[in-house]
Amino acid sequence: MRSVFACLATWILVACSSTEAPPPLVPLPEVDPGPPTVPRLTGAQYRHTLQDLFGEGLILPDALEPDSPAAGLLAVGASETSISSWGVEQYESAAYAIAQQVLSDPTQKARFFTCTPAGTTDPACARTILETWGRSLFRRPLAEEELSGLVTLTTLGSTTSATFEAGLELGLAALLQSPSFLFRVELGEAGRYGPFALASRLSFFLWNSGPDPELLAAAADGRLSTAEGLEQQARRLLADPRARRGVRAFFEDLFELYHLEALNKDPTVFLHYTTDLGKLAKEQTLQDLERIVFDEDADYRQILITDRTAVDRRLAALYGVRAGSKEGFSVVQLPPEGGRRGLLGQASFLALRAHPSSSSAVLRGAFVRKVLLCQLVPPAPVGLNTALPEPTATARTLRERNVVHLTDPGCAACHSRMDPIGLGLENFDGIGRYRGEDNGAPIDASGDLDGVPFTDAWSLAQAVHDHPDVPRCLVRSLYRYATNAADVPSEAPLIDALTANFQASGHRVQSLMLELVTSGAFQKVTEVSP
Amino acid sequence: MLRGFLGGAAVGIGLPPLEVFFDRHGLAYADGGLPKRFGIWFWGNGNLPQRWNPIGEGAEWTLSEQLQPLASVKSEITVVSGMSVKTGNTIPHGSGPAGILSGAPLIVRSGDDFSFSAPSIDQVIAAQIGGETRFRSLELGVRPDSGLSYNGPNSKNPPESSPWALFNRIFGGGFTAPGEEPVIDPKIRLRRSVLDVVMADAGRLRGKLGRTDQLRLEQHLDGVRELERRLARLEEDPPSLAACAVPGVPAEAYPDNDGRPRFTEINQVMAELMAMAMACDQTRVFSYFFTYPVNNLLFPGVSTGHHRMTHDEPGDQPQVNQIVVQIITAFGQFLEKLRAVPEGAGTLLDNCAILGTTDVSFGRNHSLDDYPIIIAGTAGGALKKGLHYRSPSGENTSMVLVSLLRAMGLVIDGFGEGAGRSEQGLGAIEA
Repeated sequence: MRSVFACLATWILVACSSTEAPPPLVPLPEVDPGPPTVPRLTGAQYRHTLQDLFGEGLILPDALEPDSPAAGLLAVGASETSISSWGVEQYESAAYAIAQQVLSDPTQKARFFTCTPAGTTDPACARTILETWGRSLFRRPLAEEELSGLVTLTTLGSTTSATFEAGLELGLAALLQSPSFLFRVELGEAGRYGPFALASRLSFFLWNSGPDPELLAAAADGRLSTAEGLEQQARRLLADPRARRGVRAFFEDLFELYHLEALNKDPTVFLHYTTDLGKLAKEQTLQDLERIVFDEDADYRQILITDRTAVDRRLAALYGVRAGSKEGFSVVQLPPEGGRRGLLGQASFLALRAHPSSSSAVLRGAFVRKVLLCQLVPPAPVGLNTALPEPTATARTLRERNVVHLTDPGCAACHSRMDPIGLGLENFDGIGRYRGEDNGAPIDASGDLDGVPFTDAWSLAQAVHDHPDVPRCLVRSLYRYATNAADVPSEAPLIDALTANFQASGHRVQSLMLELVTSGAFQKVTEVSP
Repeated sequence: MLRGFLGGAAVGIGLPPLEVFFDRHGLAYADGGLPKRFGIWFWGNGNLPQRWNPIGEGAEWTLSEQLQPLASVKSEITVVSGMSVKTGNTIPHGSGPAGILSGAPLIVRSGDDFSFSAPSIDQVIAAQIGGETRFRSLELGVRPDSGLSYNGPNSKNPPESSPWALFNRIFGGGFTAPGEEPVIDPKIRLRRSVLDVVMADAGRLRGKLGRTDQLRLEQHLDGVRELERRLARLEEDPPSLAACAVPGVPAEAYPDNDGRPRFTEINQVMAELMAMAMACDQTRVFSYFFTYPVNNLLFPGVSTGHHRMTHDEPGDQPQVNQIVVQIITAFGQFLEKLRAVPEGAGTLLDNCAILGTTDVSFGRNHSLDDYPIIIAGTAGGALKKGLHYRSPSGENTSMVLVSLLRAMGLVIDGFGEGAGRSEQGLGAIEA
C-alpha cells in the first residue's frame, strides 16, 4: 500500500513508470563533444557478446587480456589500452575454440548456417552466413571488400580440409580476431555518431554487450537516427533483462568489485573466512543494487541505508542473521543492533577495504571520499615514517593507535578527511564481521562527516546518504562509464544539469540512464583528423 | 619435473660442440658465440637498507643478512648499492619502477592513476634482439596483474601467472624438441591465412582513426605480426641448442595455502620454464614479476600483508626482513636453475644479464635512494661478476641501465629522460 502512495505522490512530480523519463526540469546544455573513443572490449563484454549471439552454453576462455582501469574505471581504461602480444595469442586460441564449438554442435550449427551449403565449397552460401554473423560481430554491415576477403578464406579452408564447416571455422575465427570486433570502432559522421556506432554505444552501455538484431535493424533503417526512435530503443533495452547485467557491470566497475575475486585474507586470523567469501559478497551487493534500480526503481541512495539485503547462508552467518533460504540468496531484514546497513555494512566493501589480517580506517574512508563523493584523495606523501604503533595498555583500539593521523598537522591535512569515516566502521573487522571490542577495549565509532555528527555505523550510513556530493558523483561516474572517457573539459556543465534532473527524478538510475543516452552529448562527437 | 634438465643434459652429451650452436638458418650466432639474454626479476615493496647492503666493496665483500640466500651464486652476481633513482618521487611505489625500469618520469593523471612515459628496458632490448626468436619477450608472474613491462605510455605486456598456461604457450602445440621429428600441423598455414585477413581489416581501419587510436591499433597489429612470425617459426626447424628439452608439465593450479600463495613451488616451476624457454631459444628477453609494488600478499610465517607490514611494523621490522629474505631466496633459486643449464663452456646464466630490483628501497618511507640492484650473469662476458659496487655519491641508477643495454649489444647515446637520463654507463661493472 505504501509503495502505491509513494508512487502516486511521485506521479505529481514525474511520471511513475520506471522508464518514463520526465521532461527535463533543467534543459541540458549544448556542450562540445569529446573526441571519439575506441574502447577495446572488456573481458565481460567479450563474453556477453558471444554468449548473447551463440547461447549461454558456449564455453569461453577464462584468460584474456586483462582489463586495466584509468580514472578509476575499467570502462575508461578500455579506451586507453591496447592488446598485447600475449593477448593476441589468447584471442586467437579463443577464436578457434569458439568457432569449433559453434560448428560442431548440431543445434548451434543449424542456427549458424543461414543457408544450406550446396557442397564442400559454396561461396554464395558462405557469403550469406558471414554477412549475417559479421554484421553482429562488427556491429555494422560488412563492406564488400571485407566480405570477399572472408569468402576467399573460407573457400581455402573448405578446399584444404574438404568440408564446408572447416572453411566457415576459419571465417568465424577471422571475424573473432579482427580489430573491428575486438575494438569498438565508433566513429562520427558530420559531428554525430553514425547510427551503427550509436547502436554499439547504446548497447554496450545498457547491456554491457553488443547490439541485438533489432537494434542493428533500427540503425540500418534510420529509426535510430531520430529522437523518437533512439528513445524507443533505449527504453526497449532498459526494459530487457540484459539491462540488469549492464547496471551490475557499472557498479562492479565503479566499486572495483572485480577485486573481490582475488580477496586475500588470513584464515588464521579470520576464522569465518573462506575463499569464496569475495564472490558471495560481490553477489550480495549487486543483487541489492539490482533490486533498488530495477525491482523497486527506487532512490539510488537506498544502497547506502537499506536494511534489507540479499544473503546466502554463508553471508548470513558472517552477519549473524538467519538466512531466508537454504540454497542461494534471499532478502533478509538486518537488525538495527550492531549498526549494519547499506553498502558500508557489506563484506564487499568492508573486506575489500581492509588489510589481509586487520581492518583499515584509511582504506574505508578513502573509498567513501573517492568513489561515493568523487573527492580527490592525494596519495600518501613520500618520505614519511608511516609505522602504526603497536597496541599498548593505554592505546588498544585502532582509533587510539592512529591518533597521530589526526593530531599531527602534516598527517591530519589528509587523514582528517578519511580516518573519521573509517573509524566509524571499526565495529566491523577485516572481513566485515561485527565486533564490540578491538584488542579488548570497547570501540568508539562516533565521528563527524563534513559537519554532520554520527555515533555509529548506522548513523554514519545516514550521513553519507544525505551528503550533498553523492548524487553528482554518481552522475559523473555513470557519464564517464557511458562515454568511456574521463576529464573531457566540457563535461562539468552537462553533469550539473544531469544531476539536477537526477535529483528531481528521485535519484532513479534508470531515469538517469535514459536521459543520458538520449542527450546530445551521447550522440555527438568531434570528427577525427587522422 | 626432473625430465627437463636431465633430458636436456642428455641430449647435449655427445654432440660435437661446434655443431650444436647453429641457429635456424644454419648460421652461427652473431659473434660466433651463444645468444645473449636479458631478464628483469622484480619484486614489490623494497628492502631494509640496513640489513641489505653488503660489507666491503669491489671483489672483497660479504653478503648481508638479506642477501645471504644468494650465497650459492655469489660469484655470479654483482650487487650495486648507494645509487638513486633521479626521475622524481611523486607517486609512492610508482615513481621507483618508472625510474629503475625506464629511466623516465611517470605520467600522472590523478591520484594513483599513472603510466610509464617511456618503454621499460626489457622492451627496449626486445625491440633490438626480440626478432631473433619465436617470442619477442615473455612476461610472467606469480599472481595476475597487468605488470610493469611497458611498450610506451598506457601500453603494457601483462604477465602470465599460470605456469600451466605459460608451459602451453611455449611448449604446447607445434613445439618440436631437439631430436624429435618435426610434425608440421597443416593448420598452421591456414592460421596464417586467417591472420592475413585480420591484418587487412586493421589496414582498412587505420586511416579512420585519430592519432592516439592509430597507435593503439598499431600495437595490436604488432602482436598480430608477431603471432604470424611465431607460426612461421613453428613451420621451420626449431633451434637446436644442446640443452634444450621440454620441461615437465606444471600443475593446472597452485591453490593458496592458508591464504598464502605457494611462492616457492610456483617460483621453481616458473624458473624451470624460463630456463628451458631460453635454452631452447624461444625467447631472449623476459620480465618476471615475483610480486608487484604495493602487494599485500601474505607470506608464509608472516602475520599480515607485505605492504601493510612495511608501513606498520615497528622497530627494525623483523617480519619485513623475513619477507625480503624469502624473496631473495626465491631469486637465488631462480638463478640456480639458469646456472644448471650448460651452454658452451659455461652456463645459461653466463649468457644472461638479469636485473633484480624492486619499486622502492626502504618501504616504510618510499625512499628511492640507496636503491636495491642486483645484476646476475655477465651477458656473455660483457659484465663483471662477483662484485659489490657502492656508489660514493648517490649516482643515477640509469647508469646501470646504460651498462646493461650496452652489454646486450645495443649501440646507444644514453638512456632515460630528464633528470633520469644518463649517457654514461657504470664503468665499475663493465668488463
